[in-house]
Amino acid sequence: MTDYEATGADRVVMRDIRKRYGMVDALRGANLRVGAGEVVGLVGDNAAGKSTLMKVLAGTVVPDSGQIVFDGRQVSFATPRDARELGIEMVYQDLALCDDIDVAGNLFLGREPRRAGGLLLDIKRMHEDARRQLDALNIRIPLTDIPVGGLSGGQRQAVAIARAVTFGPKLLILDEPTAALAVAEVETVLELIKTVSSQGVSVILITHRLQDLFRVCDRLCVMYEGTLRADLDARTTSLERLVSEIVAHDQPEGARS
Amino acid sequence: MTVTSERVVTTRSARLTAHIGSHAQTIAIGAVLVLLLIFFSFSADRFASVGNLLNLIRQISPTLIVAVAMTFVISTAGIDLSVGSTVALSGSLLAIVLQQGWDPTLALIAILALGAAIGFVNGWFSSYQGIPAFIVTLAMLSILRGTALRATEGYSTPIDGELWIVQLGQGRIAGVPVPAILAVVIALLGWLVLTRTPFGRYVVGLGSNGESLRRTGVNTRRVGLTVYVLAGLAAALAGVLIATRLSSGSSNAGTGFELEVITAVVLGGTSLFGGRASMLGTIFGALTLGVIANGLVLLHVSPFYVQIVQGSILLLAIFANNKMWARFGAVRK
Ligand SMILES: Nc1ncnc2c1ncn2[C@@H]1O[C@H](COP(=O)(O)OP(=O)(O)OP(=O)(O)O)[C@@H](O)[C@H]1O
Ligand SMILES: [Mg+2]
Repeated sequence: MTDYEATGADRVVMRDIRKRYGMVDALRGANLRVGAGEVVGLVGDNAAGKSTLMKVLAGTVVPDSGQIVFDGRQVSFATPRDARELGIEMVYQDLALCDDIDVAGNLFLGREPRRAGGLLLDIKRMHEDARRQLDALNIRIPLTDIPVGGLSGGQRQAVAIARAVTFGPKLLILDEPTAALAVAEVETVLELIKTVSSQGVSVILITHRLQDLFRVCDRLCVMYEGTLRADLDARTTSLERLVSEIVAHDQPEGARS
Repeated sequence: MTVTSERVVTTRSARLTAHIGSHAQTIAIGAVLVLLLIFFSFSADRFASVGNLLNLIRQISPTLIVAVAMTFVISTAGIDLSVGSTVALSGSLLAIVLQQGWDPTLALIAILALGAAIGFVNGWFSSYQGIPAFIVTLAMLSILRGTALRATEGYSTPIDGELWIVQLGQGRIAGVPVPAILAVVIALLGWLVLTRTPFGRYVVGLGSNGESLRRTGVNTRRVGLTVYVLAGLAAALAGVLIATRLSSGSSNAGTGFELEVITAVVLGGTSLFGGRASMLGTIFGALTLGVIANGLVLLHVSPFYVQIVQGSILLLAIFANNKMWARFGAVRK
């Protein structure tokens, strides 16, 4: 099937990524390929290694070995900043918000607008920009100056999504972004994915809501015990086929190279 | 229509709840401070004079200066127990090098650099090596106190009153004691840095959710190290102020000082678990401790009661604060 040599159309290619946590082999030579403007659904059992693979791509976890090619250049990320500078943004499964800091502060954490030659925070602009971003994304959070610890689970998730989208990423990674969202909010996120991908942003979506995948994804990648088991075309794959790829432990098939 | 107005109401009350919630302890300690000021003004004749109040700020200035730095440390969910020993070591060494004929300006710079270096070591072990700050700074407490005792052989060393540096502890500018001026300036700077700069933001973020801050690309280890450097620097300055005030450097200075500083910070509402910080609260907390010490002495109460009252106020303030949190139902760790 797909081979993991980078071609010109690829936004990112991950090859033979390995990561061990003590006795746990979280990633055992995982591969992944995402084209520019492509939406890839990443699925798999619990503990298959989806989040870990994505953290490697976001620079949060440093892999033991493996290669990452981004926009045709081989890269390696020592810190999350390296990945962020290339335009890789991630919404983490645990959201990674600072509960004691307000909504605007969380949106701009690490990239605060500054004044006075960079010495001081531009707090006023932070709140104005936050308001504008939230409104543009149709996120209903009335106040930007209350700590996110006081928000509902869905609102917190919305803040995490807004943070990832705000800075115009090239690659957007969403790790279960809709787990805590109400129906209307899930629709908003799916619309958002369609919108940004039509603008050329590549998206990787991890979710256990399989029906959502078929609505927005171009390809579906199935992970199994730290490797990529199958790489499927979302338009031609049936839900039954996908489910069997995820749960069937005894039929090694697909893109394992 | 009703729906919108209802939303506006909940919005307002949400903001109010959040804001009162996060400032409850600061408000509480501010109220305690005002009550104490009123109480002592009526009960102790000389308490409410300008002279005494300036004197009070001078007395509490070493505590206030270090408490400002300690607020940063505690906001990151850290702690620095070594500040009292740093006070002893810096005061002792200052007196010793002055006696050996060092230029006072050079001596001052060297002592402050020493304080920063002590903080650097604390920060390196705790922030870069992941050893709990409690253990690192407890060890440092012991090491520094021992070093001060070794350097002075247990004797105190006099400081020549003719040297300009003595003015740091004893001088006045326009009638205001120099230590008080320094303390006020440092407190204002501390407030500005904590609430208005990216660094202050990262300090709170580090204590709130360090991994989250790291994932946004901030160099969290460097932030974690910097707060200890600030604490070491502040403690060295406090040591200089105390030694020059007394015209002598003693290895017994600053015993229990770290606890007084931590009390001031916690009284002010900064959470020991990190994430919640109030510089204004720290200032109120330090002043409250100062007012108690000063007022009780003026009332001719045995000085032994000072610590008892300070401890009780701490317990009561935290107790009342817990009740208030419950009332406003705000989020809390
Ligand atoms: N920081 C860590 N320390 C130790 N083990 C870890 C760590 N992170 C992940 N693991 C292990 O790596 C494996 C893969 O975890 P990962 O979170 O990537 O799975 P996942 O596919 O995202 O699962 P889920 O669908 O439940 O989110 C698991 O066995 C997990 O226990
Ligand atoms: Mg996961």
